[in-house]
Amino acid sequence: MIPSRLRAVFQREQLDRELSAEVQSHLEMLTEENLRKGMNPEEARMMAKKEFGGVEQTKETYRDQRGLPFLEMLLQDLRYGLRGLLKKPSFTLVAVLTLAMGIGVTSAVFSAVDRILFRSLPYPDQERLVSFGFKAPIESAEFMLGTDYLIWRAQQTPFESMTTLTPGGPTGAGDCDLTDHNPTRLNCAYVESNFLPTFRIKPILGHNFSREEDRPNAPRVVMLSYGLWRSRFGGDPGITGKCISLDGQRAAIIGVLPADFEMPNLAPADIVLPQALDESRQQHPNAGRPLRAFARLKPGVSPAQATAALQPLFQESLNFIPRQFRKEVSLVVRSLRDRQVQDARLASWILLGAVLAVLMVACTNVANLLLARATSRRREWAVRAALGASRWRLIRQTLTESLLLGLLGGVTGFGVAYFMLRLFVSIAPEGILRLHQARLDFRVLLFTLGVSLTSGMLFGVAAALRKPSPELLSGRDVQMTARSILRQTLVVAQIAVSLVLLAGAGLLLRSLWNLENTPIGMHADNVLIAKIVLGDSRGLKPEQQLAFFQELEKRLRRLPGVTALALSDTLPPAGVMRSTIYALMEVAGRPRMAEGTGGMVGWRSVTPEYFSALGIAIVRGRGFREEDLQPNQNPVILSDALARQLFVDQDPVGKTMRFGNSGPWRTVVGVAGNVKNNGLAVPAEPEFYIPWKHNPQTSFRAATVCLRSPLNPRVLAGWVRSEAAGLDPTLPVEMETMTQRVGKLAQRPKFNAVLLSLFAGMGMLLAGIGIYGVVAFLVAQRAKEIGVRMALGASPLSILKMVLSHVARWTLLGALLGLLGTFYVTRLLNSLLFQVGIHDPRLLGAAVALLLAVAFVAAWIPARRAMRVDPVVALRYE
Amino acid sequence: MAPSKAEVLQGTLDLMVLKTLDTMGPMHGYGIAQRIQQISEDLLRLNQGTLYPALLRLEQKRWISSKWGVSENHRKAKYYTLTAAGRRQLVSEAESWERMAAVMARLLDGAQRS
Repeated sequence: MIPSRLRAVFQREQLDRELSAEVQSHLEMLTEENLRKGMNPEEARMMAKKEFGGVEQTKETYRDQRGLPFLEMLLQDLRYGLRGLLKKPSFTLVAVLTLAMGIGVTSAVFSAVDRILFRSLPYPDQERLVSFGFKAPIESAEFMLGTDYLIWRAQQTPFESMTTLTPGGPTGAGDCDLTDHNPTRLNCAYVESNFLPTFRIKPILGHNFSREEDRPNAPRVVMLSYGLWRSRFGGDPGITGKCISLDGQRAAIIGVLPADFEMPNLAPADIVLPQALDESRQQHPNAGRPLRAFARLKPGVSPAQATAALQPLFQESLNFIPRQFRKEVSLVVRSLRDRQVQDARLASWILLGAVLAVLMVACTNVANLLLARATSRRREWAVRAALGASRWRLIRQTLTESLLLGLLGGVTGFGVAYFMLRLFVSIAPEGILRLHQARLDFRVLLFTLGVSLTSGMLFGVAAALRKPSPELLSGRDVQMTARSILRQTLVVAQIAVSLVLLAGAGLLLRSLWNLENTPIGMHADNVLIAKIVLGDSRGLKPEQQLAFFQELEKRLRRLPGVTALALSDTLPPAGVMRSTIYALMEVAGRPRMAEGTGGMVGWRSVTPEYFSALGIAIVRGRGFREEDLQPNQNPVILSDALARQLFVDQDPVGKTMRFGNSGPWRTVVGVAGNVKNNGLAVPAEPEFYIPWKHNPQTSFRAATVCLRSPLNPRVLAGWVRSEAAGLDPTLPVEMETMTQRVGKLAQRPKFNAVLLSLFAGMGMLLAGIGIYGVVAFLVAQRAKEIGVRMALGASPLSILKMVLSHVARWTLLGALLGLLGTFYVTRLLNSLLFQVGIHDPRLLGAAVALLLAVAFVAAWIPARRAMRVDPVVALRYE
Repeated sequence: MAPSKAEVLQGTLDLMVLKTLDTMGPMHGYGIAQRIQQISEDLLRLNQGTLYPALLRLEQKRWISSKWGVSENHRKAKYYTLTAAGRRQLVSEAESWERMAAVMARLLDGAQRS
């Protein structure tokens, strides 16, 4: 019966026609009968109608029986609501655009942070995956040593399975070369044989490698990533069994990984290889290979329980660590998600919070618009109530209208979200977690829909809860003070939220400015950087590598316009740097450090012109000279921080020191100024420099060339490339200017600051529009009162003052609430700020001043209109 | 004294329509109304319009079916026919009516006697 009723709802017109025809024919037959009985035509028709009963009532009852009254009323409400919205296009347009802005921006941000905060990782049962190991100041993430790993694997209890990968592979850089006819450098990942099973990843072609294939000197096998399989091998379905040449050796392809595969440490991986851990060698203490370890917890075991369960094994392992370091090592077991998300989590929540604040301001604006519209329709509602419409019916209609508005806003907002997302992705710096995966997909659509319907409900309810009073029927203007209080409260809330957003954006902007202007210890302009990696595939010995770079240096010196040229194994201000443990450094005539590691100390191998090429000051002694490159000379230059740490007040020049047990004793010949080498926000790590020449502690696998030159960097880069190609045409050369390199460090804070400023700007704009709306409404409502005042002698200026005093009241109240909110909220920003106090009074004062300015500009136009009210016209309007 | 226009209960109207269609075969709305009035010897005067929602209800329950046709006076009219399910319903409802009537008669008779 229900399906036929449903059908009837949509065939309404046709069925109505049929019913009318049937009723008409019945009436005519009755009339004929009456005619036959002898009545005249008039009487016959009247009697027929009487006998039939009420035609309209019959049709009503019939229709109720026929269709689904609830659905029909809903459709009627929707039609009516849509008509109403179309009749007032300016209102509808403003409301829909406001909503679209709020909802669009929210959806865009949600799609970006969804992947970070909410969506699960692409592994089955991913909640049970953890990363575990030792946490020590020498490494940024937890790690395991081969020795301990083997022991733990044999004796552990909390894990269903454990697996490891070798970070960076045997070379430490994680790259490998495809050395067949079209050589390319790829990213390789080195994993244990049970890696794929632990993560429950199934290859789409072929199979995983076995334990036998995971031994050193086993025949080489590889698995391809989906992307590499498609791009380089054309998606060949028969690829398994074919061979490739990797780093000069043949390797067989045994499988292809699925398209959504990613490494748990998010390292890029084109090829996955067995890590070939030599288990016999791992037995020697202090010879264990550093590994990253992951595991799948047994069902019902939490990371905390696992940590407790592993404590005995951990304590055993500690015995093999030198006593002075033991205090700094701890055991860590944490969920894989935590490991991936850690830094991004705070920024994501802040962005989401900011964008929800913008949405709130937008919804408040629309609520105010609806309230204003409701006021102008109250007479209509009073009439409808008098005609018998129940209050529930009126509320339902208002709700339907606002839901409709919400949906329209949501649909438009989805389009806005698309463009917003593209904008975000285009201005975003590299390395934002998973941003490339952000898409407007089904989840986001559902979220958008939910948000639009909820906002529709919220402001609809606000507008609907007014009882139409019968006095309105007379058309007299009743003071709706309650409604205007609600509107004013909403405006105050808008202002408060806008202030919080403004303050947050201001803090981030100030912090960014500090970051970009912090002295880095070198002159970064006019320096071109070229990074050249020789790699291992060419099978060059260290002497040959050194000879290559010396030849390159000679060639580059011939280029015109080069003021200084230097080579180094690594470069500041951030990135990889060789480092050693402070406690391992020995100074002649002093005992070694007793307790603890003392932190890490970085070091670089540089040519003599390094300091002048980068503009690093030499504060004591001298820089390196050509003579220092002789084999028997062992000078060292300390950074200022290291010199102070090692020698406190003594003059370091002339002292002897060495690092590591095998190195030669080195004489300190100078002290260089501190250079930021660990990012911009953190003080520089102590470091030292040794000359660029052959010694057992370095290899020359890769080198960075720095050229100081006033010439156009692009031109210069072209020349450098051709010189390098002259030596080896297949060698990839990465180039950038030092300014770009330093700029990259500020990219993330810049992105955060730009986004938050964008949201604050939106919030302020919407709040300004809100204030405008409410003041205009106020002036229109109180036009009569203003007319009376002016007729009684008030000057236009005093009217203006009256209006503006209202605005001032709201703004100050809103600012007060906003300041309170700021105190709580900006605490969250603390970790994102650099050298900015969260309660910086100048900043907060500036934000409040800006808000006041916006409020007054927004109120100006309607206030002027109040000034121009003609008392005659106003009073006549009765 | 003739009873005034009585309110006819919904269920009884359904039964009357089914019986009419059973006896007279396919009819249009006007015809059914006239027949009911005729049989009740004008003791029952219903608002003929109330017939139509009832006919719709019976059609929704699939006890009758409808088809547009032409009446005796060459007028377009919708004809209603009893279906097999309708006939079964008629039989069962007629039975329950008779049972009810018997019980009522015994009750009232008993009441009168005592």
